[in-house]
Amino acid sequence: MSLAERLEAYLSRVWGEAVTVVDLSRIPGGASRETYRFSARTAKGERPLILRRDPPGSLIETDRNQEYLAFESFHDRLPVPRPVAMEAEGAELERPFFIMERVEGGTAASPFTIVPYGDHARAIGEQFFSILGTIAAADPSSLPLARAAEAPAPDACWKIALDHWAGVIEADQQHPQPIVWAAIRALRRRPPPPAQAIRVVHGDYRTGNFLHDGAGKILAILDWEMVHLGDPLEDLGWAIDPLWGHFEADKVAGMLPREEALAIWKKASGLAIDETALAWWSLFNAVKGQAIWTSAAKEYRDGGFKDPVLAISGWYTARRHDEILAAALMRWENLS
Amino acid sequence: MTPSLPDILVGNFMCMIDPPPPEQQGEFMAGKVAVVALLSLLAAQEAERGVAARMTENASIAALLGEAAADYEVEALAGTDDLSLAALDAANARLRLALMRLHEAVEEKGDTARHHAILRLYAQMADLRRLDMPPLPGH
Repeated sequence: MSLAERLEAYLSRVWGEAVTVVDLSRIPGGASRETYRFSARTAKGERPLILRRDPPGSLIETDRNQEYLAFESFHDRLPVPRPVAMEAEGAELERPFFIMERVEGGTAASPFTIVPYGDHARAIGEQFFSILGTIAAADPSSLPLARAAEAPAPDACWKIALDHWAGVIEADQQHPQPIVWAAIRALRRRPPPPAQAIRVVHGDYRTGNFLHDGAGKILAILDWEMVHLGDPLEDLGWAIDPLWGHFEADKVAGMLPREEALAIWKKASGLAIDETALAWWSLFNAVKGQAIWTSAAKEYRDGGFKDPVLAISGWYTARRHDEILAAALMRWENLS
Repeated sequence: MTPSLPDILVGNFMCMIDPPPPEQQGEFMAGKVAVVALLSLLAAQEAERGVAARMTENASIAALLGEAAADYEVEALAGTDDLSLAALDAANARLRLALMRLHEAVEEKGDTARHHAILRLYAQMADLRRLDMPPLPGH
């Protein structure tokens, strides 16, 4: 049975009417989910949709229920697609999946390109950091996400996050990684102050994980698979990680100078930025990145070397993050 | 480090050899070909610099361990005359484990000078392993 036939069987059953799947096509990029665009044709008309299905092996183990609830939480207040259906057990598609409405006319930047936003970098940057600030401003207890996401204590955010990603490295490393372990020890020796508020953390908020129209407008914030509740500075540290800088040292995320980006975030979130805390979360994010790339390398090998995106992640990006980590550790100790 | 250069090159074959289902042709296949091409370009850098990088890193770690042996318990490690990537990586794994144990002991002792020397070595190691992305146009 083809994927299109499985989708037809599923949608016909849950919608209670005959559904024909047309124009099913896999979208390149991403290794944590297989992503397909398709249209569901019924007697009432055609509905453009996106399918996100778990791959046989995944770059990261994530909670698809929380991911789905994040879309539910933000689709009516930010440029976020409306979710349509979610099946944690896979149903007719055999692997867990969810379906959301398709946002037309958008493109996502590859994080390893240069000048991806052209003359619109400033406009995109203003929206990018304002949207992140708006996510950080939301009271999580009022959101659908609160049904599944546990709220940590403000002074426990850092340890929960660090323990999780250190555990991933411990489990998946196939070659000793002294740089990232030195960073993990440094982070434990000098913890950050408690989170000023417990807020929604997107978990992978960065260039490349949103659609824009090519004319300076962000159309859709995507890739919520690592969403959780925690310290909102975690997201900010990830968004400005040098890995996502498009090789532009004078800007963050290839969009704006750092101070401008932080000022926009502060205004939108209503939160303060403690530079000591942000330095901790920045070093943490380089550890988190290295954990993800470590898992990618393992998955690439375990999966029979079939996914070249895992190869790029486990090889090139892992080495970039070793450079970033080594430089950050030098700064951490005021060395040059 | 993993994946190794042979892993990457074998993978470039493995990921292209199976005929894709209809929904994975077109745009997805074009994207896959682009990633494979990029991996090939980076593999050329690794083929050119990988052996030298590993030899230099292994020698630098061994030198630092040797210097520290007077003050710390550092295990004696045999080097390798085998210049294959696999043999150099195996030696590298042994050296890195010894370096990690030394670094933990250095931190515990509060030996700032040696701690900083190890951090500088890390920066050198990361630089030696660097892969250079070509300037890919973004729009």
